[in-house]
Amino acid sequence: MQTDYTVETSVVEGNPSFKQIDELIGAPLETLPNRNFLIAISITASMLLTGAIALGFSLYYGIGMWGNNNPVGWGFDIVNFVFWVGIGHAGTLISAILFLFRQKWRTGIARFAEGMTIFAVMTAGLFPALHTGRPWLDHYLIPHPNDHSLWVNFTSPLLWDVFAVSTYFIVSAIFWYVGLIPDFANLRDRTKNKIKKIVYTITSFGWRGSNRHWQNYEMVYLILAGFATPLVLSVHTIVSFDFAVSIIPGWHTTIFPPYFVAGAVFSGFAMVQNCLILLRKVFHYEHIITLDTLEKMNKIIIVTGSMVGYAYAMEFFIAWYSGNSAEAFTFVNRAFGDYAWAYWIMVSCNVIFPQLFWIKKLRRSIPVMLVIGILVNVGMWFERFVITVTSLSRDFLPSSWAYYKPTLVDGGLLIGSFGLFFTLLLIFTKTMPVVSIAEIKAVLPGAQPTHHKAESNNGK
Amino acid sequence: MNNIDDMNTLKSEDHIHPHVHEHEDHNSSMLEFPERVTEEFNTDKMSPLSRRKFFALVGASSAFALASCNNYRDKGEIVTYNNKPEFSTMGEALYYASSLNDGSGILIKTREGRPIKIDGNPEHPVNLGKIPQTGHATILDLYDPERLKYPLRKKDSALILDKDELVKIDWVKADKEITDLLIKASAEGKEIAIITHTVFSPTQKKLFSDFQAKFPTVKFYTYELHSDNNRAIAWKECFGEVELPSVKWDKAKIILALESDFLGNEGNTTEQIRMFASKRDVEKPDDFNRLYCAEAAMSLTGMNADYRIRISPGKQFEFLLCLTNEIVSKGKLSVDGSVTSLISGHNLAAFVKENDLNKKYVDYLVKDIIQNKGKSLVHAGEKLPVNVHIATNMLNSILGSADLFDLSSRNVSYSAYSTSQELEALVSNMKNGKVAVLINFDSNPVYHFADDYGFSKALEKVGTVISFTMNQNESSNGNNYILPINHDLESWGDFNLRTGLFNLQQPVIAPLYSTRQKEAILLNWISAKPDTFTEDIYHKYLMDRWEKEIYTQANPAVEFRKFWYSCLHDGFINLSSKAVSGFPQFKLPAVTMSQKASGWTVMLNRNYTVDDGRYSSNGWLQELPHPVTKAAWDNYASISPKAAKELGVVNNDVIEIKIDNRSVKLPVMLQPGMAENVVAIELGYGRTIAGEVGTGVGHNANILLSKKSGISEWIFESAILTKTGDTFKVFSTQEHHAVDEEFVKDLHFKRDIIKEGTVEGYKKNPKFMKEHEKELQSVNAERLYPGLKWAMAIDMNKCISCTSCVISCNIENNVPVVGKDQVAVGREMHWIRLDRYYSGTPEDPIVSTQPMLCQHCDSAPCENVCPVVATTHSDEGLNQMVYNRCVGTRYCNNNCPYKVRRFNFFNFRDHFANGVYLQDSLKLLHNPEVTVRSRGVMEKCTFCIQRISEARQEATKDGKPLKGSDVQTACQVACPASAISFGDMNDKESNITKLREHNLGYHSLEELNIKPNVTYIAKLRNKHEEEDSANGLHS
Repeated sequence: MQTDYTVETSVVEGNPSFKQIDELIGAPLETLPNRNFLIAISITASMLLTGAIALGFSLYYGIGMWGNNNPVGWGFDIVNFVFWVGIGHAGTLISAILFLFRQKWRTGIARFAEGMTIFAVMTAGLFPALHTGRPWLDHYLIPHPNDHSLWVNFTSPLLWDVFAVSTYFIVSAIFWYVGLIPDFANLRDRTKNKIKKIVYTITSFGWRGSNRHWQNYEMVYLILAGFATPLVLSVHTIVSFDFAVSIIPGWHTTIFPPYFVAGAVFSGFAMVQNCLILLRKVFHYEHIITLDTLEKMNKIIIVTGSMVGYAYAMEFFIAWYSGNSAEAFTFVNRAFGDYAWAYWIMVSCNVIFPQLFWIKKLRRSIPVMLVIGILVNVGMWFERFVITVTSLSRDFLPSSWAYYKPTLVDGGLLIGSFGLFFTLLLIFTKTMPVVSIAEIKAVLPGAQPTHHKAESNNGK
Repeated sequence: MNNIDDMNTLKSEDHIHPHVHEHEDHNSSMLEFPERVTEEFNTDKMSPLSRRKFFALVGASSAFALASCNNYRDKGEIVTYNNKPEFSTMGEALYYASSLNDGSGILIKTREGRPIKIDGNPEHPVNLGKIPQTGHATILDLYDPERLKYPLRKKDSALILDKDELVKIDWVKADKEITDLLIKASAEGKEIAIITHTVFSPTQKKLFSDFQAKFPTVKFYTYELHSDNNRAIAWKECFGEVELPSVKWDKAKIILALESDFLGNEGNTTEQIRMFASKRDVEKPDDFNRLYCAEAAMSLTGMNADYRIRISPGKQFEFLLCLTNEIVSKGKLSVDGSVTSLISGHNLAAFVKENDLNKKYVDYLVKDIIQNKGKSLVHAGEKLPVNVHIATNMLNSILGSADLFDLSSRNVSYSAYSTSQELEALVSNMKNGKVAVLINFDSNPVYHFADDYGFSKALEKVGTVISFTMNQNESSNGNNYILPINHDLESWGDFNLRTGLFNLQQPVIAPLYSTRQKEAILLNWISAKPDTFTEDIYHKYLMDRWEKEIYTQANPAVEFRKFWYSCLHDGFINLSSKAVSGFPQFKLPAVTMSQKASGWTVMLNRNYTVDDGRYSSNGWLQELPHPVTKAAWDNYASISPKAAKELGVVNNDVIEIKIDNRSVKLPVMLQPGMAENVVAIELGYGRTIAGEVGTGVGHNANILLSKKSGISEWIFESAILTKTGDTFKVFSTQEHHAVDEEFVKDLHFKRDIIKEGTVEGYKKNPKFMKEHEKELQSVNAERLYPGLKWAMAIDMNKCISCTSCVISCNIENNVPVVGKDQVAVGREMHWIRLDRYYSGTPEDPIVSTQPMLCQHCDSAPCENVCPVVATTHSDEGLNQMVYNRCVGTRYCNNNCPYKVRRFNFFNFRDHFANGVYLQDSLKLLHNPEVTVRSRGVMEKCTFCIQRISEARQEATKDGKPLKGSDVQTACQVACPASAISFGDMNDKESNITKLREHNLGYHSLEELNIKPNVTYIAKLRNKHEEEDSANGLHS
């Protein structure tokens, strides 16, 4: 197929009218939940309940209900945390960094991806809060004036985490909300329901769509995008410091910040891609979230996946090249020791399978990309497991080595985290526009006439 | 509105509220309704919410609020003394000298009248301040919540259906009923059998004879599950003397231990360890002793051997004869004819070849013994048969090792063990109804006696069975009377273990429950008025005997009471005479030759913690890792890895061990260094009635005992082992790796966790360890400690890995018991542990050990990662834990390279065994100076900071600066080898500073540059010079 690279293809197919866009995106918010939705939410709510029960056990009896032991102080708790923070990376990257780079194909997916970010970070945030032995004292982690002479330790990466994750969450949430304001106004204007009208009136902050509003809005959005961009990189960098700043072989390594960020984008894109495939099918958004968009995402997946693969190889190389026998042992142990199964799941899912996306046919095939996306997330979860658990279970003194085995409660919390994430996501799809109505209109063919090459926007 | 009603509301409210709350409520209500309740009082204008209603709501909501609040700090009242007791000051510990029932001289620390710690009596000539781990841990038995609290009697079977149900009974009533029974039995000429353990007490012995005088049909039976009886028999046969002399281990240059765990669990281990370790002083490398072990099972002693020879116990006698023959011929020694005829024809070289012994080691042994004639000690293990002990005595007397035995200080015995014939006679008398009353005098024969005596079945024919016991046990089950007895710390008594050395035992607390000491019960029954028991009955009896016997012997210049109080104060009196020199004349008795047998040899060993099962309900001892295998809460069958391969079993596979018609099923433990075709099992486990803690722990291998001995009472040949296909998990605090697994082999040396050398290497080049030292550079400025700086040094030449320090630390620092299920998932809480590493081959492993505790690193990696500053560094170099701040992120533990931090995954006191250690009595045991940690908190070794604080207070009080030598940590105090030193490293004169700068001093994982403050003194193996280059041990 010949491609004309001088012409920007339209990100929206079928040339819909503004009214059609309004109706299409507003439709889920204006209809009652159908049977499929109820089935879906009852599944996710059951998962959430499973997690709640597991959490109840953990809080009542203590975190001894988990598999953590004396060498392995962190198990599923921190694995899940890093996994979900990683998932939360795609959204802000798509909405902020791609916005700054003027990647218009982001328009159809940005809102949904941002929503996923918010929910993923919320899910992630639960784990550090609950992983402590005495979660009722978690406020000790926040510097606040008190009469107990309590203060925090600014040299601890865990404390940096508190700031990094909360900042990221706040900025992402504001960014997301600012983007929603024009859409809320649109919904306010369209709805005939009294209650909805009141709610949308409040949430749209008196948006009238005036020129001045738009001007301020664009500026705020740009500034927030600029503000959020470094955060995308900093959050996972700081999460990686939890490991990199320690002295444990397998943790103490300088490659972690870029490696973690790449991995986070990798898993985040896979998750967004997976969810979008379902979303566009269910809500008939095929011409807004086009196959081209999905293909572009797959290209990012292959790039970041290869970066992750490079990091794996480089870790091994440095472990040997450094001449540090404890470090070398840790890596050989990862690949051939007690946890070899986890390591090979990680390598195959993260490095081998995404390579199939080099073939254009496969990266444009919905079932293939769905499966690979799932595998990437499985692989990325195991990556965090391998890093966290294998390094701890066999560190310096062979006398203190111990095998970590998760318990049912650990499993319950993992299921619960997925339950929480998807429940929130389902509620999101029925309460807010999952595609930005205003932005889509702006990228419709002919929506932004230019003084030259006007015809090129037709997507021919 | 009714005023009276209002009053009532107020009153009831008063009732609910604490005063402060009520006051506030009034104020707020006044402020909220100022106009409506002031002078106007216009009822029409008032709110429809009446005042009554308002108060009712406030009252109810406050009541709900209060009901939901539970102040966790409020654990009842703390009441101060009304009148200050003499000698006792709140917050100040008092120490009393006393004794344990095994005769150890102890010093008991009490706080506010309750004993909280037991250590050795430093002045006691045998103990010198040290006691075995069971002695430390027995304080838990005092406060055991499952102790019997009052006498019990079996319910009358005619009245109720369940005839085994027990009812509470008065002591007076029990005394009356039992004395009637005793009188009746005596009158009818029926036997009254009393079964006891070894008697160490002269006064108890006198009581027994008084009891026998009153009731002439009384017969005493004495037994031990493990005993030194074979050695005693052999000694008597060879030298004609009953009492065994004590051994001067510290005079021996070469020690050959034959299946003898003299450092682990045989004999007076604290004394033996001390004497052995005294010859391992790195300042005197020429004076090092050399330990050879010839054994089948890997014992603690074998772990510490310089040369270990694997040999089956059935071959020991032959080995000794060959060895003697070789030594006599090579050393050109003259022996008399009877010996020559016994040893001639026994060729060592052939024996070595036939049994695949390590020829090099045996050659060294022969050479060393000949060279060090007179300074070589051969010591046979207690479980070996009489003929081996005779051969040992023969070799020792040929070698002229007279100086190594102290004839003036002998092991005194007040009771001979009952022979198997006597026990058989007892059982047959019981069966024939000739035994009217049977008393278990703090003994547990049902559990201990070999099944083929048929003792428990015969018990049914005994009219009345009475148990004197602290806890319910197998033998008290179904008894007619169960009489609860005092703990050692609630009792009076005296003990005489060594010639002329008399210990006193005094109570340090009144009996916690309605119990009596076992001697007092018997004494009361023979007193004139059994119905009027007085608490001091045995106290008076004891004093009376001391006045008549000991006082006259000592013949001091003071009156008796002064003498008595001075003895009580010291805890002992030493009346020993001058040393007797020379060796008794050896006469070779007739010896039975060992038979050649096929199949497996089973050894039933003494365990290291729960003794013969008497400490089964002691959680601290059950959880103490085995010094060799590191397993806790279980026993198992140890076999060699090669034998396991042949049997097709791996760790935790259950095998059936069958000797004749007796069989037991046990999980397998692959033990490097085990002799082939030998299986070693430790006894004392598998108790069926031992309370919440001890019941069902491990497997009962007493089933394998028989009244017909095998090679000896504890060694049987021709056993059959079969794989059952079942598994049973035994959990250790360390993972098991095959010794020859290349991937993990020798990591302790490769990673510089442990450094070792040889004596010869050290003599040649004392700085051999410092030669490869690299200069470590740091990016941080060094923190200065201008005042005191605490540091510890552990001499690995002395440390034999006995684990006494662990128990002492547990008690000092309120370390909880976590139970088998938590040990299984690696959550044991010990602050100090003994790491054990193997190198070499599975057949001939070299064992290295290392006590591992918080290293109090100057650049502690745990400190900078704690987000809430819960672990910090003190100005005196201590790495501190602030429990109140800890939220439990466990990041510190992750970042600790030594993994010495311990996390409270649960409230372990609540979690363990249905909360048995959460009960009230246990609260009295806690050291009040150490916080009891809650769930979710990290903890670790503090270098006994409470002891430092106490010493500082004392120094401040005296107006002197605190010195490093003022403080001794709990592990240091307990260490029988005195391997641990502690003090101020800024004090240039101190011992600790010298050790830190010692040529052999090293830090574990030094390369990390985290600057640990625990210095290890590298172990020097006393190998032969020739071996230096061949042995790549020292890194």
